[in-house]
Parts: sequence; C-alpha cells; structure tokens
Amino acid sequence: MSALLAFLIFVGILAAFGGFLIVLSSSLGPRPKPNPAKNMPYESGVAGTETNESRISVKFYLTAILFIIFDIEIIFMYPWAVSFMDFVKSGQGMYILGAMGIFILLFVVGLIWEVKSKALDWNN
Amino acid sequence: MGKDGLEITLNIVKMLVIFLVMVQLVPVLVWLERRVSAFMQNRFGPNRVGPLGLIQLLADAVKFLFKEPFFPEKGMAVMYYGAPIMALIPGALALAAIPLGTPFHLEEADWNLFGFIPLGHHPAYDFILQGYDFGVGIVIVLGVSSLGAYSLLMAGWGSSNKYSLLGALRASAQMVSYELALGLSLVGILMVFNTFSFYDIVAQQNPANPLTFNFLGTVHTMPWWIPNWGIFYNPLGALIFFCASFAETNRLPFDLPEAEGELVAGFHTEYGGFALLMFYIGEYGHMMVASALMATFYFGGYTIPYVSNEAVATFVSNTHHFLGAFDLSIHSNWAAFVTSLCFFVSMLVKILFFLLIFIWVRWTLPRFRYDQLMDLGWKTMLPWALFNTCLTAVWLAISHKPV
Amino acid sequence: MLSSQDFLFYFLGALSLIFGLGVVLYRNPIYSALCLVITMISVAGIFATLDAWFIAGVQLIVYAGAVTVLFVMVLMLFDLKHEMKTFSKGVIGNGVKLASSGVLLGMFSTYIWATYATEPTFKPMAAGATSSIKATKDLATSLFTSYLFAFEVIGLLLLVIAVGAVTLSRITGGTHHHAD
Repeated sequence: MSALLAFLIFVGILAAFGGFLIVLSSSLGPRPKPNPAKNMPYESGVAGTETNESRISVKFYLTAILFIIFDIEIIFMYPWAVSFMDFVKSGQGMYILGAMGIFILLFVVGLIWEVKSKALDWNN
Repeated sequence: MGKDGLEITLNIVKMLVIFLVMVQLVPVLVWLERRVSAFMQNRFGPNRVGPLGLIQLLADAVKFLFKEPFFPEKGMAVMYYGAPIMALIPGALALAAIPLGTPFHLEEADWNLFGFIPLGHHPAYDFILQGYDFGVGIVIVLGVSSLGAYSLLMAGWGSSNKYSLLGALRASAQMVSYELALGLSLVGILMVFNTFSFYDIVAQQNPANPLTFNFLGTVHTMPWWIPNWGIFYNPLGALIFFCASFAETNRLPFDLPEAEGELVAGFHTEYGGFALLMFYIGEYGHMMVASALMATFYFGGYTIPYVSNEAVATFVSNTHHFLGAFDLSIHSNWAAFVTSLCFFVSMLVKILFFLLIFIWVRWTLPRFRYDQLMDLGWKTMLPWALFNTCLTAVWLAISHKPV
Repeated sequence: MLSSQDFLFYFLGALSLIFGLGVVLYRNPIYSALCLVITMISVAGIFATLDAWFIAGVQLIVYAGAVTVLFVMVLMLFDLKHEMKTFSKGVIGNGVKLASSGVLLGMFSTYIWATYATEPTFKPMAAGATSSIKATKDLATSLFTSYLFAFEVIGLLLLVIAVGAVTLSRITGGTHHHAD
C-alpha cells in the first residue's frame, strides 16, 4: 500500500512540476503580442482554407478497434505465459498448449481475415 | 504510520531522483545525438559552448525558457497545456518501475557524517534501486506506457489546426499498432523466465550459471564465453521488441508523425518554447525506458557479464577489509552500497549502449511512408511475434517434458 | 489519522466519483472522454488497493490505454458542434437528470442497506511482491481448468467483434444526416 501511495503522490508531484514549468516559461517570456498572421493555424505560411469539411478517414477507428481486440487477446496470453512452465513440469504441457492453441487459432483467423479483407490498407 | 511514513517518503524521494536523472539525462542525450549525427554527416556538432559543447543544451534550455509564450487562437487551454505535462508522466513512471541495481540491506546503524557528526538513527532497511515495486513489473510498465497516446491526442486537438489533428491521429494510430507487437514479443520471454517480476528475471540471468539448454532431460551447457542472457533464449522476440520500441517512441525510421517536411511538424506544430521541450523530454524518457527494458529482459539487466554477483560482493568486502586494516573504518553499510553501485554502473552502461543504437539508427535509415509503417506493424511484426510465441511454447513444452 | 489503506480508498473513490460526474456533466464530448480516462485510472488504483495488481495493470492497459483512446480518437473524427447542440439544457432536461440519478442512488442505497447485515467475506491476501505472481498463476490455473470453455468462447467473441467492426465501417450512407 505504501508503494501505491508513493506512486500517486509522485504522479501529483510530476503534474505539479509540469505545470510549474509551463507557468515559469509563460511568465518569463516577453508579453505575447498576437497578430492575425500569428494566430492563424499554421499551414506552411499559406492562408488556410478554414473549412470544416475535412473527412478524416475511418481507418483510424478501425485501427483502434482492432487494437483493442488483439490487445485483449494478448492480455489473456500473459497469465498463460507466466504459468506455462508450471503446467509443463507437472506433465500437462500438451493440454495447456492445446487450450491456448485453439485461442491462438482464433487470433490467427481474425488476423488473416483482417489482412485479406484489406481493412487496414492505408493506400485506398 | 511511522514506518509506513518513512517508506513512503523514501519511495517518493527515490522516484524524484529517478525523474530528475531522466530530465538531466535528456540534455546529455541531445548533445550526444547532435555530436553523433554530426560525426556521421562529416561535420562538427556543437563544440563552442563549454568544453566539447556540453553547455550547449543548457544554453538552449534557457533560451527556450525566455521565448514568447504562444497560444493558438482557437485552441483549448486545458488540452493545449495538459499535453506537454501528460508527455512527461508515462516515461518517468515507467522508468521508476525498472530496477537499476541489486537491492542492498542496510543494517540498523547511526548515521554519521564524516564519521563524527551524528545525523540520526535508522532501522534495518532493504533499499531497492527502484521507485516502486508492485510485483507485477512489466504489466504496470506496459500499462503506463500506453497512456502516452493521450499526450499526442491532446496536443493535436488542443492546437485547433487540422494538420496537427491529422498528425496526432496518425501518431497515436502508429503507437497503438506497435504496442501489440511489443506486448506479444514479451510473451515469449515471459514463458522462458516464468515470472513477471524484474528481480526474478535478472536473477535467472545470473552470470554464475552458464547458458544451458534443456532438451528432453539432457542439459547442454554452452561454453563460458557466451553470457547467460535472455537474448539467446528468444532472439526473434528480442529483435521484434527492439524494432517495436522504435515505433513506440516515434523515433526514426518510424518518425513520420513528427517529421519536418511531412505534416509540417505533426502534432507539435503549434508549440513553442518550453512546452515543445517537454515533448522531447517525454520522448527521450520513453527511449530510456525501452533501453532499460531491453537490457533487463534480454541482456542480463544489472548483472555484470562474466562476473558473478557473489564475486562482486566479495571483491567489495575484500576492499573494505583492506581499508579496515589501515584503520579507515568504513561501516559495512557502505560496502553494501558500493556493491550495488557497481551493478548500477553496469546497468547504466547497457542503457547508454542501447540509446547509442537508437541515435545511430536515426541518422542511418530513411523514414518509412505511413502505409508502409502500418503494414509493417500489422502484417509483418504481429504475425512474426505470434510465430515466436508459438515456437517458444512448443519448444519449451517438448524440451521440458518430464520423462 | 487514517491508515494508508483507508486514505487510498477514500481518495481514489472520491476521484472516480468526481470524474465520473464530469463524464456525464460536461457538454464537450472530448472533455467527457478525458474525464473517463481519469475514472478508469482511479478504478485501476482501487483494484491495486485490493492487492489485485495484475488486474490493475490490465485495467490500465486495456481500458485506460485502449478503449478510451478509441473513444477520444473517434470523437476527434466528428464535427462536434452538432453533438454539443443536442446536449439537453433547461429546466425540464435538468429535472429529468436529477430525478433519474436520484432513483439510481435510491436503488443502490436500499440494496446496500438491506444487505448490510451480511458483510462480504473476502480473504485479504498477504502483502508483498511474491503474492502478486502467485495470484496471477492461480488466475491462470483456474482460467485453464475450471473456465476453459468460457475462455475459448471469449476468443470466438473477439473474432466476431473484429468481423463486425470491419463490416460496420464499410456501410456507406452513414447514420446521421449531414446538415450541409
């Protein structure tokens, strides 16, 4: 418990330190002098088009969802990896291999399907 | 809460020291990067300011501190200022979780400065060179590193610039894709070592034991000149882990989201002054974490190759006895501390070695295009990491089968 | 003075409550999503106070590091002015919110009050580093012996989710009418 408390206090100290640095740099610099040229969103000096119609691709959503799914599968592999040798040494190696093997098979089927269906092709 | 209070304070002080070491190491790393890149490009790096140009980064930091504070017109203050703060946190937390030396035992003693100024009495204490030890080691490190995606997203959104937003989305999509390969490549080495805790992993790479492979009951011992390191148990996993950590830290050749000339400067386009520097502190902090993990899992951690841990301890205590013969009485606590310091130096050497490789690769390889990058992550690294896991599992099941 | 365990419980509980309220009360969806991140992190902390370090780490990796990243990324793809306009304001809206949260609170307190006599019995685990690894190994053992079928069904379910997500993203036409 003391480790967790120290951890949380440390996060608080880090956030305070970061905030202090930002406040320091804001107060030490010269007064901000905004002018229209500086305030425009930076697009390599070209006057921006200022439209909000940019359709950002849906591939970001797909990347994130597939990441969640495969991450959960990898998380299931962590307890398996840590207890694998115990199972092997007690003679149940083939059983534990088979149990996880079915899971990995489903993982691989998902991966192959995702690659074949060109879900994450960024060429479009 | 007395003993608890001492422990909490000590832990906080240790974590602060680790964080400050990380922040102070960043200027050294940037100097190293500029000199190494200059060497590779056949020119001089910074060599005017201070000896060998070492004060250059201090001058740069002071210059950044005095720049005009900039805030984009339609930006959101919480996210714009929260992103650099959020960039510092995951690197520092992950670095505090990795042991940098052996734990040493302090006996109950009075603490004297220079031998005669009494400072107080401390109870027996096991001092670990680690900020916090939760016991599940790598899971917490991975969890905290995956929070690094938020600093990118907050920076991109808070800048209210559509190129920043696009850069931030691409950077976080890249980071997220390579976390899969990172996590999966660690499954292989966890199977070999059978534990999460960093101490057990380093203890199993003890130089006192030679590298051995069990196969169906017969034990093959490798020659003494191959160190007992994790990389020999799982070389493919080490390669995938190393490459994935390049992508995790947004480091060349996976540099596209923050490359100049591509999306302007990516998610930190609208940043100037010290806030920009905080992003770099975060990036170098992540690099240090990746190097430390690589050293711990695959290269023996804080052990010194070819020299067993006990040999170092006996060497230090022999020196201590030698000095004691001259009536320079040093307390045995100092002997324990010096032993641990040797291991800390060894760990630092290994971390610096990997950081040098990070810097070397950055100035050698060209950058990947974004679709090549994502293809590499999903279609090459993830299947190979999966193959590595299956191969390690089958190999271990066959070779350790009780006959 | 509070022991560190009690202090952590109250602090993390308060944190998750406050930021949970922030999730539902903010008008800007991205602020809600960021409050959700902090709520997830405090729940991970609460898991840690119960000595479930592995689950705390998994909560950080999966929830705070993947699910809410998905939320934030997807929210950035949208034009949020439309979403912010549909946030209900005014007397009737606020009245409905207050009434429904009061009903929920009432249900929870009644349940807790009714079952107060039978305290939950759980064995606190021994403190220390080695127990976390033993706990994870016990988790693995029970996962692969008693709950093997559920484990395989989870794998199948994840496959179905992957196929469904990709298929859904291919539907053209969209669900919202774009007010152009």
